[in-house]
Amino acid sequence: MSDMAINPAGRGRLLAVLPKLAATALMLVLAAVWLGPLLLIVMTSIKSNAEFLAGPFALPKSPTIQPYIDVWFGLGFGTLLRNSLIYATAGSALAVTLALVPAFALSRMNVPGRKWIFGLLLTGLMLPQQTVLIPLYDTLRTFHLLDTKIGLIIVHGVYGMPLQVLILRGFMTTIPPEIEKAAYVEGATDFQVFWKVILPLSVPGILVGYTLNFIAIWKEFVFGLVFLNSEDNFPVTVGMLKLNSDRYLAVFNLPAAGLVISQLPIVILFILTYRQISGGNLSGAVKG
Amino acid sequence: MAEVSLKDVEKRYAMVPVLSGLNLDIQDGEFTVLVGPSGCGKTTTLNMIAGLESITGGTLRIGARDVTTLPPKDRDIAMVFQSYALFPHMTVRDNIAFGMKIRKAPKADMDAQIRQVAQRLRIDDLLDRLPKALSGGQRQRVALGRALVRRPGVFLMDEPLSNLDAKMRIEARSFLTKMHQEIGTTTVYVTHDQAEAMTMGSKIVVMYGGKIQQAAAPLEVYNRPANQFVAGFIGSPAMNFLSLLYDGNSLLDKAGAVRIAVPQNRRAALAGHKGKKVTLGVRPEHFSILPPGAVPEPDSIAFDVDVIQHLGHEVLLDLSAGDHRCIARLPPSDRSKVGENRLFSIDMDHVHYFDGDSGTNLIDYSRQQ
Repeated sequence: MSDMAINPAGRGRLLAVLPKLAATALMLVLAAVWLGPLLLIVMTSIKSNAEFLAGPFALPKSPTIQPYIDVWFGLGFGTLLRNSLIYATAGSALAVTLALVPAFALSRMNVPGRKWIFGLLLTGLMLPQQTVLIPLYDTLRTFHLLDTKIGLIIVHGVYGMPLQVLILRGFMTTIPPEIEKAAYVEGATDFQVFWKVILPLSVPGILVGYTLNFIAIWKEFVFGLVFLNSEDNFPVTVGMLKLNSDRYLAVFNLPAAGLVISQLPIVILFILTYRQISGGNLSGAVKG
Repeated sequence: MAEVSLKDVEKRYAMVPVLSGLNLDIQDGEFTVLVGPSGCGKTTTLNMIAGLESITGGTLRIGARDVTTLPPKDRDIAMVFQSYALFPHMTVRDNIAFGMKIRKAPKADMDAQIRQVAQRLRIDDLLDRLPKALSGGQRQRVALGRALVRRPGVFLMDEPLSNLDAKMRIEARSFLTKMHQEIGTTTVYVTHDQAEAMTMGSKIVVMYGGKIQQAAAPLEVYNRPANQFVAGFIGSPAMNFLSLLYDGNSLLDKAGAVRIAVPQNRRAALAGHKGKKVTLGVRPEHFSILPPGAVPEPDSIAFDVDVIQHLGHEVLLDLSAGDHRCIARLPPSDRSKVGENRLFSIDMDHVHYFDGDSGTNLIDYSRQQ
């Protein structure tokens, strides 16, 4: 036997780890595809515009926060972020609140025709934004809610509700039915079962739904653009349109800094809620 | 406390009957066990008593009241579930207090009763813990505490011990029996474990195929089973069945492996079955082994010994004679060997005769003694 011969045991080990290696390599490539542009934006946001033009992909030689200062004061980012925070916080809260009772009824109660009702609600998910723009515009105008914060909050709440029903119904279905039965036997009414048992146990589901809705509203652009006129009411996505004007035609670091600022809140939100979202709180309820 | 009465109770799902003609009277303070294999309808029956399943026919009374259509909260019942069904976001104290809070009981009464029940169940040091921090046995006691604290008219228990390990189950069985003796509340208990039913119930209700097969005291069910199903379900190892032909004097099989003389006092009961199939039911303990070289008797069968199971306090022998398979329970002193062919005598005073087609017990015990 030559020294070059492969030990059969070693070859077996290699064959065993090969799929793992391939999977890891694939994940690294995918991560690079996602993280590459993000990294490029962050790098661009801490360069001067001249440095960016000299080498768009080069690492920053003299990092600066000046683009952040310029874009913050130039665009009134404080107001834009505050507005986005209001729309995302209140709009998501409204969507979740509107979805809680239907989700409970559709998951836990014998509502006649519940499959049809659920299907009907889900059609709301399939409607492209463009198809509801005109009716929503008309409705907001009728109620004098055009170009108002409350008007846009209502639109986001109603538009987000079907997804919340889908998420919450799915979550509530996983709550063991014995827990609900125990509450009924103990004397609870339907409302008490909902309020004292199902609702507290649905908190992780609510957080998931709320977070997803928050992110969707934060990133939303079309409703804000169509239903608002006053700069005071603009969310960050619409406010950043200014960076698309001729004045910033050859400026790259300011939009990059604006993008980083605009995305930071949802990254923070995700970090704060990640643990709650990933962990359930049903342990100990039933044998398992 | 209250009695429970089911009259012609039915349950249908989309016109498919799953339970029919249930008639059952449970006396005040009785510990009644509903027992049967999976799918026999015992849990559905319990859920109907609880009000968690609607009753599609017949009437249900708890105490003097017709509760057929009342919601669970108005039935004066408490229930312990197989999976404990504790509220995971509430402490043990809040779990136990849940029903009393719903009923807006005064706080002082509530605290006193929780303390009393917690001490009785030995969970008074666990009151501020969440269910996830408890062991299976502790969770089971908390579930029991939640039921006990309201002092209901009827306790309903749906296989409350089936999630415990074997040792804890035996302890919990004694605990529940003792507790019932102390408080005397009417209890309806569901299990698929016939040993649990035999040891705990003052009445056993054997169910199969959505019907009550027999409702009687445990020993009555064991010694005088109404039919072949009950005879086979109650007892471990199960009763042996030999499908034979009755010739007017003896039970025999065509192959000639078995021929048993029917005692004179049983022939009247079998009179209408001459020339028909009759199933002979023999409990394992009613076999006894004859010494080697013994002469065959009218109540003996020659069996091959296939398997020997030494359990310490007894020996179980797997036997075969032609197509017939039996298990015999013998004292630990038995020295049989695998492969031997031995004569076994049957205690004919304790055997059962079942109709070969319907499985009905052919002996009318109400006429006996």
